[in-house]
Amino acid sequence: MAKIAKITPDDCQKALDIFKKRLNSDYTAFLHSCVRCGLCADSCHYYLSNPEMESMPAYKLNLIAKVFKKYFTLTGKKMSRWVGAEKFDRQLVEEWIDSLFGRCTLCGRCSLNCTMGINIPYIIRTARGALAEVGLVPPGLQSTVDTALKTGNNMGISKEDWMETVEWLEGELQQEVGDPNAKLPVDKKGAKYLYTINPREAMFFPLSISAVGKIFYATNESWTFSSDNFDVTNYGLYSGDDEAAGIMSRRLINSVKELECQSLILAECGHGFNSNRWEAPEWLNRKYDFEVKSIIQVIGDYIRGSRIQLDPSMHQKVVTLHDPCNLVRLGGLIEEQRYILKHAVTHFVEMTPNREKNYCCGGGGGQLAMTRFAERRIASGKIKADQVIQTGAEVVVTPCHNCIDQFMELNKHYKLGIEIKTISEIVADALVIPKKTV
Amino acid sequence: MLDILRYGVILSFCFTFIILCSMVFKTYHFNKKKTYSLPQGNGLKGIIYALGRGLAPWEKESAVKHLPTYLAGIFYHIGIFAALYYLFSLVIPFHFGTLIAMIIRISIFTGILCGIGLFVKRSLKPHIRRISCPDDFASNLLVDGFLILALIDTYRGDLRAVLFAVAIILLLYIPVGKIRHCFFFFYSRILFGFFFGRRGVLPQKLGDSRSNHG
Repeated sequence: MAKIAKITPDDCQKALDIFKKRLNSDYTAFLHSCVRCGLCADSCHYYLSNPEMESMPAYKLNLIAKVFKKYFTLTGKKMSRWVGAEKFDRQLVEEWIDSLFGRCTLCGRCSLNCTMGINIPYIIRTARGALAEVGLVPPGLQSTVDTALKTGNNMGISKEDWMETVEWLEGELQQEVGDPNAKLPVDKKGAKYLYTINPREAMFFPLSISAVGKIFYATNESWTFSSDNFDVTNYGLYSGDDEAAGIMSRRLINSVKELECQSLILAECGHGFNSNRWEAPEWLNRKYDFEVKSIIQVIGDYIRGSRIQLDPSMHQKVVTLHDPCNLVRLGGLIEEQRYILKHAVTHFVEMTPNREKNYCCGGGGGQLAMTRFAERRIASGKIKADQVIQTGAEVVVTPCHNCIDQFMELNKHYKLGIEIKTISEIVADALVIPKKTV
Repeated sequence: MLDILRYGVILSFCFTFIILCSMVFKTYHFNKKKTYSLPQGNGLKGIIYALGRGLAPWEKESAVKHLPTYLAGIFYHIGIFAALYYLFSLVIPFHFGTLIAMIIRISIFTGILCGIGLFVKRSLKPHIRRISCPDDFASNLLVDGFLILALIDTYRGDLRAVLFAVAIILLLYIPVGKIRHCFFFFYSRILFGFFFGRRGVLPQKLGDSRSNHG
């Protein structure tokens, strides 16, 4: 990478300054705690698929701990070799990029399996943030962030194109439900819910938008899209750039306020959920005075409140569920998707392990945007592919578009022969819509 | 001489305790992490889990997969605590019965075996060796030496001065290297429990179906 060759000691110092600024008391305590036992190795899907030392979570953490010790601890300054402290130079920067960006999806499975309980993904994210400061985020990931900052969404969809897509999908919905009054509302002031999407849905998976529209139609819900700020994703979470991440999240807040909505409803997007539900208030240093929920929680409430009726016989195939790491292990949304599937399909089979112990599919951490690490990403997905095969499932449901993209590639590469769907699509297909009387 | 060393043990213990406390305090020189997001679960329950059930080997896949190493770690630490208890019984001093004396001996002996086992593993496993630094080996050897001397002392007291001297070195070394985790372990586990607790991930809700068929 040409940029690495040009890195100067000043750049390293700048990165270090940001690293120090981003370190907090929690992460500092974690960095003091690692005993390098190596027990975390087998919890990482990268290491499991290819047991290289560089993929061990302890190794990745140690790359950061070396720098922490060298610059921020007395023993590291005075007895560097003895305690394994190391100067932050070009060689270490290269290692940081390769391991922290190229061998980690920030899935947090290592953290759960760490004897000390070290929050490894968040420390790795902090180090990524230091690299972001000196322009060393791998180009694909950085350009995704840049596009989102420049255009308002990570696919660079123009407002006109977005409006055309909504119009087209509205027509489709009207046809499907046989009601010319069925709407996909945009910028409707005072709507209860502001619903966001993953821009990839608008570009490549419009059916998942229609599915949500159909569900809202069936419940006669008060909801709206925003014409300006509709992107649930936030690749600042992956690049480690808190400022960029904050800008993206603030846009959604602004739309909630401008449209006077009560709740921000997040599309099926793992990192979008973690970003907007958990991290954004920290990035913006503020408490939200409105509710932030996943569409999954909304659908779950509809089923519990009998606001929608589902016919599970519409899904006769064996269905399994992949738990997106950002939604489940890091997001705490664990049972709702299971509750929905048990009402929407006839034959649901769990993967093993599942829930917070699930394996990452390999699509998180910004990996899908970093083409230079694509081969590793596909190899790391072998664990997930094997899990799917063991279930014997014909359909994999996952409430996350990054996971869907990764599964599409795994499906091809490992010849899984599966269908891949979102929760909303499954629910929309099983929806029993009573004829509306006008 | 022995009295001087005895006071040395007490002083080095106090010194190390103060240094470790100051290290914890120093972490607050960095930003204090504030949490603005609304909790979904209970941070306190998460902490209780992290310091209790969450330490059980069956709660962690890493422990299940590496049970001998995990158990070696557990017994090593039990041995260390037993040896420290024995050390303080000499320093303060206080007496205990023969049953406790036997438990202490067995614990220290097991601890020595486990400590040596972990040292051998660190030396022989290429990946672990590569992520290790001299401090990792030295810390292990220092603790093993302390355990061996403590065990010998439970039978015969003629090496007590050496035991006290090694104990002083060990106590003073704690803040320097990885043994500081004796303090930071609890700090880390509390942070871990709080993080996953308030997000509603841990502890897992009872009655969750973890089986293959939902």
